[in-house]
Amino acid sequence: MSAPRYFEDFHVGQKFAFGAYEVTKEEIVAFAREFDPQPHHLDEDAAKDSLLGGLATSGWHVCAIAMRLATDHIFNHAEARGGAGVEDCRWLKPVRPGDVLRLEVEVLDTRPHPRRPLGFVTMRWDVFNQREQVARIVNTPIFATRGGA
Amino acid sequence: MSGRYWEDIELGAKQVLGQYTFTEDEIVGFARAYDPQPFHLDPQAAGRSFYGGIIASGWHTVAVWMKLAVASHLGATRDGPRSGVSPGFEDLRWLKPVRPGMTITYSTEVIEKVALKSRPQYGLVKSRNEARGEDGTLVMSFIGKGFVERKTRGA
Repeated sequence: MSAPRYFEDFHVGQKFAFGAYEVTKEEIVAFAREFDPQPHHLDEDAAKDSLLGGLATSGWHVCAIAMRLATDHIFNHAEARGGAGVEDCRWLKPVRPGDVLRLEVEVLDTRPHPRRPLGFVTMRWDVFNQREQVARIVNTPIFATRGGA
Repeated sequence: MSGRYWEDIELGAKQVLGQYTFTEDEIVGFARAYDPQPFHLDPQAAGRSFYGGIIASGWHTVAVWMKLAVASHLGATRDGPRSGVSPGFEDLRWLKPVRPGMTITYSTEVIEKVALKSRPQYGLVKSRNEARGEDGTLVMSFIGKGFVERKTRGA
């Protein structure tokens, strides 16, 4: 399958699956120190006593990793023009040190921009570790149309 | 809202979380790790792109919201009530590009409190969160959700 390049190459129901991103404890703690320094993302003992039941990474880190996977496998092969936003994001299960994340993507909707040579593609990103689904992110990136500016 | 139990969080309470100035180095550093698209990464390529210059990843813009929320003691602390764990968020909008040198002001407002049957020792707090540029232009918004420990278990 060749990677989609332009807005016209995306179709409702299209699916992609890729990725094997290992989440190390070092990266969990480094991300938390910078963006989400709560005890349950930094410290094993504090995390045991939290709702997470053990050290787990920030949900924002899970989103960032999903973005990295989508960038490497879709966006950087296409005329991607950024994102309009995220309709819904669910952090379903904790992501822990040693988890390996992969992404399953399904195209839910495609909509041309009313005036500009662009189109909106609504995608569902299902994020899995080696055991189960850990997150679901429904978002809307923007792609150039064929022959667009 | 530092160290508050669910019962003590006031519906409608608004708080400015703080300001953050995005540098080019930080924008590029985040992009290199998590969002390596040319318009986040490479000033030359970004200059020729539709954005006319480098812009921050939207995930970077929203991660800084979290940073300032934790710094404002909205998240979990070692001694306070258990909080800071979230089931997700809704309606995140990246409305305007955030460029190097821009100073963004982040705020939060409590818009809903929900008692939880499934977790009687916690309540859910929903917030509307905003990021604005120096001229007050809204650059990002989203609806956040967080579990906060209750003083007394719900029915």
